[in-house]
Amino acid sequence: MSIIVDHVTKSFSERNRRRQSKLVLKDVCFEVPDGEFVSLLGPSGCGKSTTLTIIAGFQGRDSGDVIVNGRTVTRPGPDRAFVFQDYALLPWMKVGENITYPMKMQRVPKEEREKRLDELLSLAQLQECRDQYINELSGGMKQRVALLRAIACDPEVLLMDEPLGAVDFQMRKLLQLQLESILMQKKVTTLMVTHDVDEAVYLSDRVIVMGRDHGNILADVAIELDRPRDRTSEKYHGYCDQLTELLKTALSGEVFTKEDEDIMNFIKNAEIESRRHC
Amino acid sequence: MEEKDQLQSRQWKSFSDRSRTMNMGTQALKKLNYPAVTMLLVLMAAWYFGAHVYNKPFVFPYFEVVMGRIGEALTDLAVLRAIGITMRRVLLGTLYGFIIGLPLGMAMGFSPLIMKTLSPFVNAVRQIPTTAWVPLAIIWFGLGDGPTLFVLALHGVFVIILNTAAGVMDINPEYYNAVKSMGAGPVEIVKDVIFPGALPGVITGIRLAMGMGWMTVV
Repeated sequence: MSIIVDHVTKSFSERNRRRQSKLVLKDVCFEVPDGEFVSLLGPSGCGKSTTLTIIAGFQGRDSGDVIVNGRTVTRPGPDRAFVFQDYALLPWMKVGENITYPMKMQRVPKEEREKRLDELLSLAQLQECRDQYINELSGGMKQRVALLRAIACDPEVLLMDEPLGAVDFQMRKLLQLQLESILMQKKVTTLMVTHDVDEAVYLSDRVIVMGRDHGNILADVAIELDRPRDRTSEKYHGYCDQLTELLKTALSGEVFTKEDEDIMNFIKNAEIESRRHC
Repeated sequence: MEEKDQLQSRQWKSFSDRSRTMNMGTQALKKLNYPAVTMLLVLMAAWYFGAHVYNKPFVFPYFEVVMGRIGEALTDLAVLRAIGITMRRVLLGTLYGFIIGLPLGMAMGFSPLIMKTLSPFVNAVRQIPTTAWVPLAIIWFGLGDGPTLFVLALHGVFVIILNTAAGVMDINPEYYNAVKSMGAGPVEIVKDVIFPGALPGVITGIRLAMGMGWMTVV
């Protein structure tokens, strides 16, 4: 149940210049061993989301191999559950129907589905929302539903694209806590894309930092801290500082999107804080 | 993307809300459109007084006379039967248009290739005025219901195709990836994503087609 990304190269043809194509990923290699939680951290446009969607099978690759649990990836499949940045929950189904949908696709018998649904809903404290439609939920609730849907079938591998990107700061902290407790119970092999340093350190066993140079891997940092993680510990801050420093070189002062602004703000805050410590 | 999503779900919600309120007959009085009723009364009064002031019933008939004639017509069995026949034709014509238009519209909305292939023809044939079809329709289908239904269906089919295709194209492309990654096959993609996602567009299409049908059937 590991993910192996082996020399993956991907380019997009640009619409206005047909002959030229933009190289997004060049010879990207990394591995996620069984049961490990790995984050892909990087500025906007570094190809981290592209890498994730290639592993999911949503788009192809020009060359290289993606092997999940010993099988080469050619298309999307239920062995790799995906958590979307904007949830991608079906608005015409109720919460319960959304969560049981993957089980229905796997032909899990109805009684078992209902039992599992109860279990999952209580795991995320969403029992009352079972019969609500998606547009009646808050952002944080949608996020939890999306996560429950992803883990409903006990996938071998969980892929998450900025899973907490669209919720506010308070909710984010709370969801990180819940996410950690849920995933620690299951020990699912997880790959998460994020641009939030704190989130990466808090949740991951390992953090891979990608740069803007065709997704080259700048660093591969193992986070050796006990769970649940103590945000106030010296070591935790050490990891945050180390990754912030790496991101700074990855950004090299070029701010393109809101995402990059977030990173810059984080870097600034980190610097102010470290000065206060001195 | 998110905005579009919200719009879509809002449309969906308002649609389901509407069907819910329609089931509750007791609320009908509460939901009565009072501003429009007032406007109707004002218009009727204007007609009544206007006609009497002008006082030339041949060019501007009195309100009460016209109402009387409408009353007579509505109690006449022959007229009622004619309305029934027309209604049946409109419904049947729209149904045929729907049966042909729905799959075509869904295919065109889903696949850019099919859209590219078919849209020039759809857009060209769509421009032909209804009356121009009538002689051909009579030659093909003879007299009677045939040509009427043909023209109605033809008229409806384009409206339904265009609205269905627009509805399908409005679906968040992530939904396809989402259900595929949960193991859905082509049948499930149509059943659980394309059809419900396009439903608001389909309903609009049917409504427009029926409205236009009433105008065409004359």
